[in-house]
Amino acid sequence: MSVSRRLDALLEAGIGFVAGVPCSYLKKLFAGCAELPAGFFLPAVREDHAVAACAGAWLGGRRALAAMQNSGLGYCLEVLTSLHLMYRIPLPMVVSDRGAPTDYEEHRILGQSTRGLLDLFGIPWREAQPGGHEAESRWLIEASEHERTPAVLLVGKEADV
Amino acid sequence: MTRAESIALALSLLGEGDIVVAADGAISREAYRALDRARTFYMLGSMGQVASIALGLAMTRPERIVALDGDGNLLMGFGGLAMVGGLKPANLYHLVLDNGCYATTGGQPALSRMVDLAAAATGAGYKWARRCLSGGDARAAIESWLAARGPALLDLEVTGEDPEPAPRVPMTPEEMATRARAALAVR
Repeated sequence: MSVSRRLDALLEAGIGFVAGVPCSYLKKLFAGCAELPAGFFLPAVREDHAVAACAGAWLGGRRALAAMQNSGLGYCLEVLTSLHLMYRIPLPMVVSDRGAPTDYEEHRILGQSTRGLLDLFGIPWREAQPGGHEAESRWLIEASEHERTPAVLLVGKEADV
Repeated sequence: MTRAESIALALSLLGEGDIVVAADGAISREAYRALDRARTFYMLGSMGQVASIALGLAMTRPERIVALDGDGNLLMGFGGLAMVGGLKPANLYHLVLDNGCYATTGGQPALSRMVDLAAAATGAGYKWARRCLSGGDARAAIESWLAARGPALLDLEVTGEDPEPAPRVPMTPEEMATRARAALAVR
C-alpha cells in the first residue's frame, strides 16, 4: 500500500513502470511513485522524454505508465504521433485536468483544449470519478493494449487520492 | 571513417544479446543495412528521444543497451542526457555518430562543433565519456567505450556521407516494434 490509492490500483492492474513529470494535481500519485523500488519510476525532465522512456520500457516487456500535467501533452505530441501511434505502442497515461475557467491563466488555453486535442489524434480518454480507481485502472490498460494506442485518464484536483 | 562505416564497426563489436536503439534517419537505415538484428529497434521519427527510449530499456532489462545517436539528435533531446546521467544505469552505452550537421535534411550545420558533448555527459553524471576525433582510432575508441563502466558515452566524429545512401528499413513501424519486443521476450 502506498500513499496513493490511484497508484495502488494501477499497480494492481498490472502497471510495472512509471515515468512522468509532476503536477500539483497529482501530488499523491507522485509521492507514491517516489517510494517504488529502483527501476520502477523515472522522474523525467520533460513529458516527451517520459513517454519515450515508456516506449522503451514497453519494448523491454513492462506495462509502462506516463503521468503528467495536461500542459505536458503539447511537448508529447511529436512522440505520441511518430512513436506510439505510428508504431502502435500501448501507453496508459494519467494526465491532470487543469484549465477550468477559475484556474490560473497559464493553464487555461491548453487545459480547455485537452479533450479536443486527444479527440483530434484519436486518443481515447476518460474522466476520473470519485471511487473509480480500480475500474479506471483496468480501463486504462484495456483501452491502451487492445488497440495498442495511448489512452488517457484525466484526473481533476479532487480525484488525486 | 564515415558514419555508415562507424555504425558497421560498432555493431560488429556488440554481443548477440545486446539491445540496440537506432536513431531516426540515416542512422537507422545504415544500421539495418550493416547488420539487421531482431534486438535492434529502428526509429523513424521522434527525433531527440534515442537516449530516453534507451533509458526505458536500461531500467527494465539486464542486458547492455546501446543507443546509436546523432549529434543533432542528442542536442534536440538534451534532457535525455540529464536523465541518463542522473539515474546512471550501468548497462547504458551511448554512441554519438557526430558529423557536425543535420545530414538527413541536407547537411545544415549543427551546434555540436561548439558544444562539448562528452563534457556535457560527464557533467550530467555519466561514468565515462570521451570524444574521438575523425583522425583518431575509431576501433580502439569503441572498444574502450564498450569496456568502460556505464553509463558511458562516446562522441565519435565521423566524416562524409556514404556514396550509396542506405534504403529505408523494409518493415512497417508496427512490425519493427512487435519484432523487437518479441525478440526481447525470449531471454
